[in-house]
Amino acid sequence: MDTGVAREAIERGEREEAREEVRTGRRELWNVLRNFPRRQPLGAIGGVLVALMVAVALLAPWLAPHNPKAAGFDTFIPPGGGFPFGTDHLGRDVLSRVIWGARLSLYVGLTSVGVGVTLGSLWGVVTGFFGGAWDTVSQRVVDTLMAFPPIILALGLMAVLGQSVENVIVTLTVLLAPAAARTIRSTTLGVKEMMFIEACRAAGLPLRRVIARHVVPNVMATYLVLFSVNIGYAIVVEAALSFLGLGAPPDEPSWGGMLTGATEHLERAPWIALFPGVALSLSVFGLNLLGDAVRDLLDPRLRGTGAG
Amino acid sequence: MREYVVRRVLLFFPSLAGVSLVVFALMRLVPGDVAEILVYSAGSEQASVAKAQVAKIRGELGLDKPIAVQYALWLKGALQGNFGHSYLEDRPVREMLAEWFPRTMELALLTLVLAALWAVPLGVVSAVRQDHWPDYLCRSLSISGLSVPIFFSGVLILFVLVRFFHWLPPLEYVSVWEDPARNLQKIIWPALAQAFYISAPITRLTRSQLLEVIREDYVRTARSKGLIEQLVIYRHALKNALLPVVTFTGWWVGRLLGGLVVMEIIFQVPGMGMGLITSVNNRDYPTVQAIVFVMAGVFLLLNLIVDLLYGWLDPRIKYA
Repeated sequence: MDTGVAREAIERGEREEAREEVRTGRRELWNVLRNFPRRQPLGAIGGVLVALMVAVALLAPWLAPHNPKAAGFDTFIPPGGGFPFGTDHLGRDVLSRVIWGARLSLYVGLTSVGVGVTLGSLWGVVTGFFGGAWDTVSQRVVDTLMAFPPIILALGLMAVLGQSVENVIVTLTVLLAPAAARTIRSTTLGVKEMMFIEACRAAGLPLRRVIARHVVPNVMATYLVLFSVNIGYAIVVEAALSFLGLGAPPDEPSWGGMLTGATEHLERAPWIALFPGVALSLSVFGLNLLGDAVRDLLDPRLRGTGAG
Repeated sequence: MREYVVRRVLLFFPSLAGVSLVVFALMRLVPGDVAEILVYSAGSEQASVAKAQVAKIRGELGLDKPIAVQYALWLKGALQGNFGHSYLEDRPVREMLAEWFPRTMELALLTLVLAALWAVPLGVVSAVRQDHWPDYLCRSLSISGLSVPIFFSGVLILFVLVRFFHWLPPLEYVSVWEDPARNLQKIIWPALAQAFYISAPITRLTRSQLLEVIREDYVRTARSKGLIEQLVIYRHALKNALLPVVTFTGWWVGRLLGGLVVMEIIFQVPGMGMGLITSVNNRDYPTVQAIVFVMAGVFLLLNLIVDLLYGWLDPRIKYA
């Protein structure tokens, strides 16, 4: 067959595919959403918890009764009355800090996963597709970065970068990208061998176009799974770094950071530790359940690969 | 088999080299002059003394030499266990590591033993009584173990001890060789908190593997020849079900080593983790470098051992 004709056929196919996708996409999405609670009851519970967390994070300025950073009240007021969650050792309203903490956690979780998993995935697609010497080099880089126990590498990076929310995001990107690159690379290797990719190349489609239009859509499910299962992990790492005094600065309302000061006053004022701890655990629980459900729906093969 | 062992062992060295490069580069990424930071954060009194010290440290770190030479010198020292001088404590880093390292390894070992003792039986119960209430109980226990962040469960344990037993673990650390009972009183709590966390994936994996194996033909054969159920499960099924559980260990060990840092801080165990946090806070970079390098080395070594163990347990494995 003449390559020009083949190319035209592929382009026509692409256009039709796109139209068809929009048409069936809406219907399919609706079906998945409608059947989600029945097929994934635990995932639905997770979804409710996550929705709650997102709502609290978005509405923080209106929900929080006080300024989370203002230390103007008496210290160690027990929960009840004007302060449903009490006040902490510096006289800050614990409820307001827990509410703003949802926003901080979600911000760190979404940005770090958004940047880290996306960059890592692009890295994985490109190296997996082209292979060759660069791929080998990049695989060694991935190996090296994954040879560190995650928290220890994070602490080393934070030691160099200095304590701030932005640097936590940078650090998390370094933790998340290599793992994403490895997973996406192996998916890409599988896609690359398929007949339709060979057809595209034989028809002389530019490689950029083959990757963007034909490879990327086929690794999208894996990308979405990586995205959803890593948000909870990122939030826990942020909290752990802040707990150790190397994440968010102490006046930032981070759930992990709130636990730091609280350990010294456990006997006198356990509420300072309990409320942020429960908020964090429930959010992570919800995100884990939802992430598992998304993985089972989109790509059950990833179960137990460390992506979950 | 021999080829597998050789190739796997050979793979260890490039990884270690890569790790050492990253660790070395980390310290060179510190903004500003490392020598000056080291002197001023160690708290020198007079400007003249400080200046002399800066020059001395520059010489010691070899900051005047080309970067490749600096790296070679550092790596040579590190491989001989010589990590330079801590300007914070004013003694060799090697001495500090020799004190901290055994404590952390003891804690890690205790955690692993507790986790295995608790998680494997739980997984077996869960699989044998599948979809009955013991299974539900075990599964929700393990899911909650995964969701409660380790520093919060640590704080909770501390809270329960203080609030309901009016008791705190001894403040001072006593070596296990001096007084095992007092030593245990201190480190059992961080080990328990962490064992609860890492037991969750072990339980889940044991359960799913056993469920798969129980349906295999040879298990049916064992049953049909009249073996009692316990023998079938423990002698025949569990042995094979535990194989993937062993390989998955590499993944937990990474989390375990990170979690140890948190546990040591909460329960005041003066090990590698506490040393890391103290030296990060005081910008004692040679110590930070040494600890990160050693912990990554331990991680690599454990992964190597797990892989070799797996090759030995499952002769079918070939190096892929």
